[in-house]
Amino acid sequence: MTGLIRAEFLKLSSTRTAFGLFIAALAVSVLPAILVMSLVPRAALSDGGAAIAASGLTIVPLLAVVFGILGMTNEYRHGTITYTYLTTPRRGIVMIVKLVCYGVAGTLVMAATALLVVLAIALIAAVRDIPLPWLTTANASDLETIRNAAMFLLTTGMMTAFGVSLGALLRAQVPTIAGVMVWALAIEGIVAIIKPRIGMYLPFAAFQQLTMGDALNVGEASGLLALTRPEAFLVAIAYIAVFSVAAVFISMRRDVT
Amino acid sequence: MPVIEAEHLSKRFGKKVLAVDDVSFTIEEGTITGVLGPNGAGKTTTLRMILDLVRPTAGHVSILGSRYRDLHAPATRVGALLDSAGFHPGRTGRNALRVIATGARIPPERVGEVLDMVELTDAARRRVKGYSTGMKQRLALAAALLGDPEILILDEPANGLDPEGMRWLRAFLRAQASEGRTVLVASHVLVEVEQTVDDVLIMGRGKLLAQGPIARLTAGAAPVVRVRSPHAEKLEQLLLQKGAAVNRVETALAIRGPSSAEVGELANAGGIVLHELLTEQASLEDLFLQIAGTRRES
Repeated sequence: MTGLIRAEFLKLSSTRTAFGLFIAALAVSVLPAILVMSLVPRAALSDGGAAIAASGLTIVPLLAVVFGILGMTNEYRHGTITYTYLTTPRRGIVMIVKLVCYGVAGTLVMAATALLVVLAIALIAAVRDIPLPWLTTANASDLETIRNAAMFLLTTGMMTAFGVSLGALLRAQVPTIAGVMVWALAIEGIVAIIKPRIGMYLPFAAFQQLTMGDALNVGEASGLLALTRPEAFLVAIAYIAVFSVAAVFISMRRDVT
Repeated sequence: MPVIEAEHLSKRFGKKVLAVDDVSFTIEEGTITGVLGPNGAGKTTTLRMILDLVRPTAGHVSILGSRYRDLHAPATRVGALLDSAGFHPGRTGRNALRVIATGARIPPERVGEVLDMVELTDAARRRVKGYSTGMKQRLALAAALLGDPEILILDEPANGLDPEGMRWLRAFLRAQASEGRTVLVASHVLVEVEQTVDDVLIMGRGKLLAQGPIARLTAGAAPVVRVRSPHAEKLEQLLLQKGAAVNRVETALAIRGPSSAEVGELANAGGIVLHELLTEQASLEDLFLQIAGTRRES
C-alpha cells in the first residue's frame, strides 16, 4: 500500500492540479486579506475588525471539494484509471488510498493558505500599527483558537475526500463540478430558507457549521437554525462515509471500458 | 503450458449488446497469438475481461493460473497496452511511467530502460500533450514493459503508427517473443499481424470463429483464384451467378469456390479477356473472409 500512496502523491506533484488549487486558494484568501488590511481605514480594522480580512478562507474548503472531484474525474477523463487498476486490481484499496491522500493534500493546502493569510494580516497590521488582540493576546481563548483552526483543517480534508467520492460516483468532470457548485451555492441555500430544519442537515451546511461553529448557532429566535459542532461533525462524517462506501462499492463493480 | 485459459466467456452490455458470446480458448506459453476480427468483434472486451477490467456476464478466465486480481504484483507478470488507457496530458512521459512504476513497486531505474527500448528517451521530459499519436503509442508500450512481464497483452498496438513505426513494431514484437514472452495482440489489420504471429484467434460478432496456427488454418482453407481483367465487373457477375464467393477491387478479383480452370472457361465463354489467372494458397485475410462469410451465410 505504501507504493500506492507514494504513487498518489507523485500524481499530485507531477501535474499542476494541486498547485492550481493552492494558487486559487491564495487568490480567494490572501489577496483579499492584503487588500482589506491595506485599504480599509485603520479605525475600522481595530477591535477585531481585521478578522474580516481572513474571511476569504471560508471559500477554500469549497475549492477543496472541486480539487477532490478533479483528482478522481481526471483519472477517467484521461484514461489513467486503466493503469491504476492494472497496477492495483484491488479497487477498494485504490479508492481508500485516494480518499486519504486527497484528504491530506487538501488539509495541507488549507494549512499553508491559512498560515499565509495570518502572516499577511500580521505583517500589514504591524506596518500600519493596527492592534490585533485576536492574534496577539495569549489568554484562555487560545485553546479555543487551536480547536477552531484544527476543525477548519479537518473539515477541509474531509471536504476534499467528499469531492473524491463524488468524482468516483459521477465520473463526468464538468457536470459534477457544475452540479456541486449549484447545489452548494444555490440549492442548499434555498432549502435552508424554505425548510431550515432540513437545510441544516444538508452536506455543505454541515461542513459550514463545522467550520463556523457557535458563530452560526445563534438560536431559533434569530431565524437561523444551526447544528452544534459535535452534531455537525457527525452529520458531515455520515455524508462522507455514505458517499465513500458507495464510491468504493461502485468502483469495484464498474467495468472500465 | 497454457498461460491464459478462457472458458465459456460471455459479456453483455445492457440488454441489447452481446459483446462476447461463449468464447473458450487457451494461449500457450511463449507464443505470439493474434486476436483478429473487424471492429465490434469482441476483441477488446475479451482482453479487458482477461485483465479484470470488465466483469464477465458468464464464464471464467484465468491468467497464469488465477484471476488477474489475485496475481501477486500483477504489473510485473502481465504488461498491457489498451486502447482506452491513457496518460495525463500535463505529465511528462517520464513522470507518467514513474507513477505506474511507483504504484507497482518497480525500481525507478526501469523507467529509463524502457524509455530507451521504445526510443523515447529524448522526449521523456516533454509533457505528453506534445507527443504525436505514434509517440503516445510507444509510451504505452513502455508502460506495458515496465514490469518486465512474462505476458504482454496488446490491443491494436499499430494504431497511429506510420509505416516506419509499423516496421519497428513488428521487429519489437519478434524481439519480445525471442525473449520467451507470451504475446497476445489484438488487431483488425490482418496483414500487419500475419507477418508476426504464430497462432490466431479469429473473432466475429462476439464469437470465436477459429483458433490455431496460421499455417494449419490457411492450409485447411480453400485456395484462392486471383484474376485481373479489364472486364472484372462482368466476370464478377458471372461468377456470382455460379455461386462463387468473389472479392473485387477494381480490376482484380479474388475468387473462392471454382478452380482456375473453371474460372478460365467461364471467362472464355463470356468473351472476357483475362490479364492474369493464378491459384494461390489462402492468406490470413482470405481465411478470415471465408470464415466470416460462412458464418454469415449459416
